[in-house]
Amino acid sequence: MRNPWLWALLVAGLTACNAEQSTLHVFGAEARAVRQMALVLTIGAVLIVAIMVALYVRAVRAPEGRLSHDGGMRMVLWLGAIGPTLILTALLIYALPAMRPRATAPGDLTIRVEGEQFWWRVAYDPASDLSPLSSANEVRIPVGRTVIFELTARDVIHSFWIPGLAGKMDMIPGRTNRLVVQAEKAGRYRGVCAEFCGLSHALMAFDVVAMDGADFDAWMARSRAASTGVTASRGARLFDAHGCGGCHAIRGTPHDADIGPDLSRFGERPTLGAGILPPTPANVAAFIRFPQDAKPGARMPAYPQISVADARAIADYLKGLK
Amino acid sequence: MTDRGKWHERLKVTLWTLIVPPAIWAGHFLMAYLWAAISCAKVGAFATFPTLFVVGTIIALTLIALSGWIAWKQTHRPGDSAPHQDSTDIDRLRFLAKSTLLLAGLSFVGVIFTALPVVFLRNCL
Amino acid sequence: MSLHDQDDPALRAAQEDRLRAVWKPPQGLFLRWTDTNNNRVGVWYVLTAFGFMLFAGVLALIMRTQLAVPDNDLVSANSFNQLFTLHGSMMMFLFAVPMFEAVSIILLPQLLGARDLPFPRLSAFGYWSFLIGGVFVSGSIFFNAAPDGGWFMYPPLTTRTDLSGLGADIWMLGLSFIEVSSVAAAVELIVGVLKCRPPGMRLNLMPLYAWYILVVAVMILFAFPPLIAGDILFEMERLLDWPFFDANRGGDPLLWQHLFWIFGHPEVYIIFLPSIALFAMLVPTFANRHLLGYPWIVLAAVGTAFLSFGLWVHHMFTTGLPKISLAFFSAASEAVAIPTGVQIFVFIATLWAGRVTWSTPLLYATGSLAIFVIGGLTGVMVAVAPFDWQAHDSYFIVAHLHYVLIGGTLMPLFAGLYYYWPLITGKKLSDRLGRIAFWMLFAGANLTFFPMHLSGLMGMPRRVFTYPAELGLGGLNLMSTAGAYLFAAGVAVICVDLALSPRRAKAPRNPWNAGTLEWLAHPDDEDWGIRSVPLVESRYPIWDQPDFVRKVDEGRFFLPDAEEGRRETIVTTVLDARPLAVIRLGTPSVKPMLTAIALGGVFIFTTYHLYWAALACGIATLACTLWWLWTGTAEIPEKPCKPIGHGLELPLYLSGPAAPGWWAMFITMMADATAFSGLVFGYFFFWTRHADFPPATMADGPGILWPMVALAVGVIGWLATIGARDIHARGGVAAARILLLLGITHSIVGVGAGLAGPWTSGLDPQAHSYPAIVWTLAIWTSAHAGVAAIMQGYALARSLAGKMNPDHDADLRNVSIYMHFYALSAVVTYATIGLFPEVA
Repeated sequence: MRNPWLWALLVAGLTACNAEQSTLHVFGAEARAVRQMALVLTIGAVLIVAIMVALYVRAVRAPEGRLSHDGGMRMVLWLGAIGPTLILTALLIYALPAMRPRATAPGDLTIRVEGEQFWWRVAYDPASDLSPLSSANEVRIPVGRTVIFELTARDVIHSFWIPGLAGKMDMIPGRTNRLVVQAEKAGRYRGVCAEFCGLSHALMAFDVVAMDGADFDAWMARSRAASTGVTASRGARLFDAHGCGGCHAIRGTPHDADIGPDLSRFGERPTLGAGILPPTPANVAAFIRFPQDAKPGARMPAYPQISVADARAIADYLKGLK
Repeated sequence: MTDRGKWHERLKVTLWTLIVPPAIWAGHFLMAYLWAAISCAKVGAFATFPTLFVVGTIIALTLIALSGWIAWKQTHRPGDSAPHQDSTDIDRLRFLAKSTLLLAGLSFVGVIFTALPVVFLRNCL
Repeated sequence: MSLHDQDDPALRAAQEDRLRAVWKPPQGLFLRWTDTNNNRVGVWYVLTAFGFMLFAGVLALIMRTQLAVPDNDLVSANSFNQLFTLHGSMMMFLFAVPMFEAVSIILLPQLLGARDLPFPRLSAFGYWSFLIGGVFVSGSIFFNAAPDGGWFMYPPLTTRTDLSGLGADIWMLGLSFIEVSSVAAAVELIVGVLKCRPPGMRLNLMPLYAWYILVVAVMILFAFPPLIAGDILFEMERLLDWPFFDANRGGDPLLWQHLFWIFGHPEVYIIFLPSIALFAMLVPTFANRHLLGYPWIVLAAVGTAFLSFGLWVHHMFTTGLPKISLAFFSAASEAVAIPTGVQIFVFIATLWAGRVTWSTPLLYATGSLAIFVIGGLTGVMVAVAPFDWQAHDSYFIVAHLHYVLIGGTLMPLFAGLYYYWPLITGKKLSDRLGRIAFWMLFAGANLTFFPMHLSGLMGMPRRVFTYPAELGLGGLNLMSTAGAYLFAAGVAVICVDLALSPRRAKAPRNPWNAGTLEWLAHPDDEDWGIRSVPLVESRYPIWDQPDFVRKVDEGRFFLPDAEEGRRETIVTTVLDARPLAVIRLGTPSVKPMLTAIALGGVFIFTTYHLYWAALACGIATLACTLWWLWTGTAEIPEKPCKPIGHGLELPLYLSGPAAPGWWAMFITMMADATAFSGLVFGYFFFWTRHADFPPATMADGPGILWPMVALAVGVIGWLATIGARDIHARGGVAAARILLLLGITHSIVGVGAGLAGPWTSGLDPQAHSYPAIVWTLAIWTSAHAGVAAIMQGYALARSLAGKMNPDHDADLRNVSIYMHFYALSAVVTYATIGLFPEVA
C-alpha cells in the first residue's frame, strides 16, 4: 500500500469497538472459518497488488526494446495466463470443501425464523410435541450444539444475518432455506436483515443470545411455561380493551394471535422494535402510540387515541412479562 | 493457400470456428447446471457416481482439445513468424487459428473448473 | 477515373464541394435535431449520458451526506431508498451502457475509415429513445415517484402494488424502452464492425477497439433480452395480476433473480470491456509501438464474453440454492479472472517493450488499472462462496463494485476523454487541470471506498438509510463521505476543464502521434467522415503505410467523390474486407425521432395505465416504422454499379447474407429469440419448482388440438414465404405474390389459433403461475404471427409497388429471416405448451 492514510484507516477501523455485529468479532464456528479464509484471501490479494505495482513501475521505466516481442509474449503467457490459472485452481481446491454445510443429526435443535416487514417471528423446535415456543426479534442458541435455522418469509424477501455467527441466508416467500451453525462463545450479539426489504430495512435487526447448554435448557423449560407478570393490572385490561390481542400473543393469556410479534416474556427482551431502541417504558409507550415515528412503514397501525398515561400503563404491563 | 493437404488443413478457421471452444465450455457449463438443478429439484439428490457428468466432461475436453489441435496445426504452417499483422490470407488465417488455440486453452481450463465442484460436493444441501 | 486524376487540385476541390454539400447538416432551430450524422448524434449521446452521470453522482453525494454520521435524519427512509435505486439504475442504464454506445457511435466510423455507420437513422432513433426514457426515469425523483426497490427490483417487494408504487412501473417500463435502444445500438455496431471496414482491413488488422465493441455488442444481444423477458413477466404481474413471482399462487421470486442476473452479470463486462478497449487504443500510442499480443486481447475479449454468462448465480449465493449449483458458478467466477489478468499483462508487456511517453491520458489509465486490480481481487474473494456469505449485501460489496466500476469504467472513460477530446473538438484539454483532477479522483475514490471494505466486514449491510452509533461505524463512514466530496470536486475540476476548452487554441492534427485510422480526423472537422476510404495494410496504418495521410486527404484511395449527390459508404466482406458494394446511407430525417416519440408514448402511457393512449401510440409506432422502412430502405438504385477509384466498380444494391440489412435482421432476431428463450426458461423453471406441473386442476393445459393447429399454420406460413423467396429469385413474381398472400392468411390464422388453446380450455392466468406462463408463451408467439403477417404484407406491397423485383429482393430475404425465427418460436412454444404436459 503506497498510501500512508490506509494504515491510519486500518488502525481506526480495528480499534473501533463493535463486538456485537461484526464478521471480525466471531462467536461461531462458521464465522471463524470464514474469518480465517478472509485473512488468507486478503494476504494473497495484497501480495498480488504489490507485485503488479512493482511490475508496472518497471514496465514504464524500462527503456525501449528492453523486452523483445518474444519476451513479451512469454510474459503474457506465464504471468498473465498460466500464473493466474494456477493460483485460481489452488484457490478453488481450497474453497470448494469449505462450502459443505455442517452435518446435522436428528436430535439437533431447529429454530424457525420468518422475516416480516420489519421484524422476526421466531419458533423454537417447531416440530416438537411440546407446546411450541414462539418468540420475536430475539434468537437464543446454545453454545457448542448444532443449531438448524429454518428460514422463510411471508411478505417480501429478507435475509438472516448474524455476522459473528455465520454467513447470511435469504428468507424467500415460498421457500424454506436451512442454515446450520454452531456457536462457540456465550454472549449477547446482534443480527440484521441483509436484503433490502422496504422502507425500514435499515431498522430490522434482532438480538442474539448465545447461552451455555445447561442455561439454554433451563431457559427453554422456563419459557414454555406461562409468562410471569400476567396479572389483571390496568395495563393488562387496556391491552385487552384496545384489541392488542388481535395481533399479539402472550403466553398464559387467551391472546394467541400470530399477526404481530409475540410479546411473551417481553420484559426480558434487550431491545424494542426489532433491535432499534432501548426498551424503556417511555420508548415502549411512544412506540404503541406512533410506531411509524420509530419505524417508517411498520405494519402496526398508530394509536393516537390511546392517552400517554394509558400507553404507559400498557408499557409497564409488557415490561413486567418475564 | 491450397485446398489439398491433410483434412485438418482443409478446415478453414472463420469467425464461427473461433467460438467453437468457448461454446463447448458454455454447453458443458449449461449441462452441469441443469443436471444439478433438475436432479436436486425433481429427485432430491444426484447419483453418487455421476456417469453422465463424467462422460459429458470427457467429451467436452476432447472436443476442445481437438479444436485446439486443429488450430495449432494451422498456426504452424511454414512461413513467417508472429506477429501475423499483414493484410494477407495466410496472416488472417494464422491470427484466427492462434486466437482459437488460446480460446481452446481457456475453455479447457474452464471445463476443468466446472468439473471440480463435483469432486468435492455430492449432495443437494 | 484513374489515380492520376487526383493530382488535379481543381478536381479535388470539386469533389470536396460535392462531398460537403451531400454531408451538409440540416439547419434551422428544429431541423438541426433531425441530423443523423454519427459525429453529431454521437456527441449528443455522449453529452446526455455525461449529464445523467453528473445527476446520479449528485444523488450519491446526498446519500453519503446522510450516512456521514450515525442516526442521521437529513433525508427520510423513503427518499433514501429512491436515491440509491436511482443512483444505481442511472449509472448502469443511463450512463455506463449508453456512454459506451455513444463513444462507439463517434469513434467506430473513424476507426473503420467509414463515412458513417450503416444505419445512421437507427443511431438517431436509439438516441431519442434514450433521451426520452432517461428523462422519464430520472425526472421521477422530482415528483417523489422514483423507483425505490433497488436497481435489482426484487419481487415480491416490487410486484406487490400495496408495497410499491408507480416507481416500480417507471423503472420497468422506462428502462425497457432504453433496453430497446441498447439493442438497436448493438445491431448498428455489430453490422458496422463486420461489414463496413475499409478494404484490406482483414480481421487480423481490425483496431482492438472494434474487436471489443463487436464482442460487447454481441453480449448485449444475449444479455439484455432475458431482462426484457423478465420485464414482461414483471409488468404482467403488476398490471394484470398474473402471479409469476407470487409464491402463494405457484410463482417464485427467484425466477426474477435468475432473469435479472443473467442480464446483470454480463452487464458488468458490457460496461467494463469498452473501457479496456480505450486502453487498447491509447497504450500503444503512449508506448510508441504496436500492441504486443493482439490475439491475446481477442482471446480475453471473447473468453470474458462467454464466461460472463456463467456467473449470474454468484449474485444469488445466499438464496439457498444447492451448494453444488453455487459451486459451478463460483468456479466460473474465478475462471473469468484469467482473461482479465491476460489483458492487464498485455498492457504491461507493451509498455515494457515500448518507449513510454508519459501523458495525462496514460496517467488516468494507470490509476484506473490500480483501482481496477484491487476491485478485481476483491471480486475473486467474493467469488469464493463461503466468504461471500459474509460479504454479500454488505458494504464490502459496495466497496468491491465501486472499485471495479470506477477503475474499470469511469476512470478509463476519463482517460478516453483526455485522449479523444482533440479528435472531437480539435483542442487539447489542460494537462495541469487534468492531473489535479486525477489526483483528486484517485485519492477520493480510495478514501471513499477503501473504508467500506472494513465497514462491510464490521457488519454494515447495504441499502440502509442510517445505522446505530453503537456499531462503531461512524469513523469509517465519515471517511467515506469526505472521500465522496473529494471525488466530486475532482469531477468538478474536469467539468471546468471542459468548459474552458472553447477558449483554447486548436491543437495540431493527431496530437498524440497515434497510428490508427481515427486520427485522420482533421481539427477543422468536415462532416464527411473521411476524405477517401483507404486501403488498409497494417494495424497502425498512419505509422506503417508510407504517405498514408496525404493519400487519404487527396482522395487517392476509394470513393473520393459523391457524384450522384448521395451519402455513401463501402461494404466489405466479414473475414477479409474485400469490397462488395457501395451502400447509400440514410439522410437527416424526422422519422427516427417521431418513431422514438411514439414508442416512448407506448411505455409512458402504460406506466400510467392509460391503455387507449398507449394503444394509439403503438399504432403510431408501427405506422412510423413502416413509413421509415418504405421510404428509406432497400431502394432500387438508378444504376447497378458505380466506380470507386482504382478501376474498381461496385454494385449499389445488395441482398441476402452479403447485405448489412440482412445482418441487421438476423442480429435483431437473435435478440428476439433470446428474450423468447427467457420466457421458455420460465416455463421449465416453474416445472422444476412444482411436484405437479401442470397442477392437477389444470392438467389438460391448453389442450393439444389448438397448439398443433397453430404450429401447422405457422409452419405453412413459413414454407410459403421461403417458397416465395426462391420462386421470386428465379423470376416467378406472380407465383411469389400468391405464395405471400397464402403466407399472410396463415399468419393471421396463426394469431387466433395460438390464443385459442388457452382460451378454449378456460385457463385463468390470475389463478396460478402455470396458466400465466402458458398464456404468456401463446401471446408471444401469436404476436409474432401478427408481425409476420405485417412483414409478408410489406413484402407483397413492395412487389406490387415496383420497389422489389427478382434482382432487388432484399425485403423478401429479410422477411424470410424473420420467418425462420417465427417458425422456431412456434415449434418451441406449441411443443412446450401442447405436448410437454403429456410427458411431464
